[in-house]
Amino acid sequence: MRTNRVLTLAFLPIVILAACTSGGGSSPSAVIPTGAPASDAPTDAPSEAPSEAPKATIRIGSDNFYESELMGEIYAQVLEADGYTVERKYKLGSRQERIPTMDAGQVDLVAEYVGSGLGFYDKTKISGDGAANQAALQEVLTPKGITVLGITPGEDTNAFVVRKDTSDTLGLTKMSQLAAVQADLRWGLPADCDTNPLCKGALEEYGITYPPAKRQALGACDVPMAQALQGNAIDVAELCSTQPAIVQFGFVSLEDDLDTQPAENIAPIVRDDYLAKVDAAAFTALLDAASAKMTTEELTRLGVLVAVDQKDIEDVAKDWLTEQGLLP
Amino acid sequence: MEGVLDFFLDPANWTGALGIPVRLIEHLYISGIAIVAATIVGLPVGLYIGHTGRGANLAINLANIGRAVPSYAILVIILPLSLSLAPVIGYTPEAGLNFLPIVISMSLLAIPPILVNAYAGLRSVDRDLIEAARGMGLRESQILRTIEMPIASPIIIGGFRTATLQVIATATIGAILASGGLGRFIFDGINQGLAGQPSIYAGAILVTALAVGTDFLLSIIQRRLTPRGLRVGSRQIRPWRQAAEVPRGGGEVGPGFV
Repeated sequence: MRTNRVLTLAFLPIVILAACTSGGGSSPSAVIPTGAPASDAPTDAPSEAPSEAPKATIRIGSDNFYESELMGEIYAQVLEADGYTVERKYKLGSRQERIPTMDAGQVDLVAEYVGSGLGFYDKTKISGDGAANQAALQEVLTPKGITVLGITPGEDTNAFVVRKDTSDTLGLTKMSQLAAVQADLRWGLPADCDTNPLCKGALEEYGITYPPAKRQALGACDVPMAQALQGNAIDVAELCSTQPAIVQFGFVSLEDDLDTQPAENIAPIVRDDYLAKVDAAAFTALLDAASAKMTTEELTRLGVLVAVDQKDIEDVAKDWLTEQGLLP
Repeated sequence: MEGVLDFFLDPANWTGALGIPVRLIEHLYISGIAIVAATIVGLPVGLYIGHTGRGANLAINLANIGRAVPSYAILVIILPLSLSLAPVIGYTPEAGLNFLPIVISMSLLAIPPILVNAYAGLRSVDRDLIEAARGMGLRESQILRTIEMPIASPIIIGGFRTATLQVIATATIGAILASGGLGRFIFDGINQGLAGQPSIYAGAILVTALAVGTDFLLSIIQRRLTPRGLRVGSRQIRPWRQAAEVPRGGGEVGPGFV
């Protein structure tokens, strides 16, 4: 009797798990039918009326931070204004979680950084040229059935940042001035810096002995990295150039005067199986028009609105699109 | 998964400041301090409310906040405070970043099981036994030390086991704030894209092994510290021991009756 009870207890979680997986399994299959009618449509649509291509529901995802969601929302509103139905699947996680989600066909479109996005697959291929990164990323994504659309002129690249007081006392404004004072500095560097040519490589190019004697492993562009800099636990932090914390805390971004950091222009990446369901040329033109207006200054300004002023991403995206004449 | 085996076979991962042994010691150090801190706070309170029955609801509910608020949230919430307070209380700002937040959030996680089990253990002691002890003139502190605590010891130590298991498994999140420990393998792996996958798996395996291994050791200690008569599986006090003790006691009392 006692063993029976123990066995029942042991199996209970398995039964619950099984119930959960079968429940989870049914939801993707429930999603497919919405796209299914559209998939037979393209066979006749392009031949008859190319201008009136079907507008299949698009699932737009984002990474788990404001800028990715903001760009996703901008693309979403542009598409909605043109008659597409958008399913928003924001905050999927970091690139590590979002890529498998997209590969598995759970989302159709995500705003991606061409530098880091490429770096996920191959860090050695990243360069300081946005178009080159875009092309290289396309090469990696083609076998996966994903297309990289046009890039934004603006970018959100890695920046080495110091507090105002450090900048004043040590006279720091450029990366090339770091080498002379490197012994006095405590560094906040991402954990993968040792194996990242854009981090270790870049610092060495500036004549900094790697690894620095005092360093803390923090996520680049993360909130804790900014807080640690603000809280005087580190003196140099690797942040993102459009990160609102820089404006918020009055940090000084050091100029990358040797151009070591990769181009991080943003581009929507779309699943080819979705593009096959719509008029791909019109779809691409629509999003490219929006991307073309996004400069670094705009990206920074909108970032402050969202992350510092706590404005709704939806409103910020709408206002910006209206200002740019992309929405009525 | 084959990359995971390579990770464990790579000698570079076993040496130096970034190697598995150093990370293991860091992990145990952080967890150990958190458990000691949680004991200093949780055990006396648990014993007090267990012995007196006073304030139990309040104390248990307060303690459970530590379990209810996600440790990750606590970590991030206390970071700004910890950064500004660290120099004031004699720590370096660096410790305010990579040491205090993780130790505080792990202590808060460890207090509830220690406190609640101490309370529940003491409450489970037969009331008649305690009344009898009072009747015999034992002081309250004597009752606590010689009757309640020994009888409740399996449950009290059970609280430590739960706390230790949770803390070792959860202390990995300290890596977000530049702490050492086995969480580094997981977080550093996440930062490295595809190439980091083996490191993530290896980190998870190491943490699991450490948590389960420590729990096993504590289970042995728990058994050792349990009074013999209360051990599961031992049916009663061994007859030979009783037989050996009775004549001695009887011998002293004996003459008076003769």
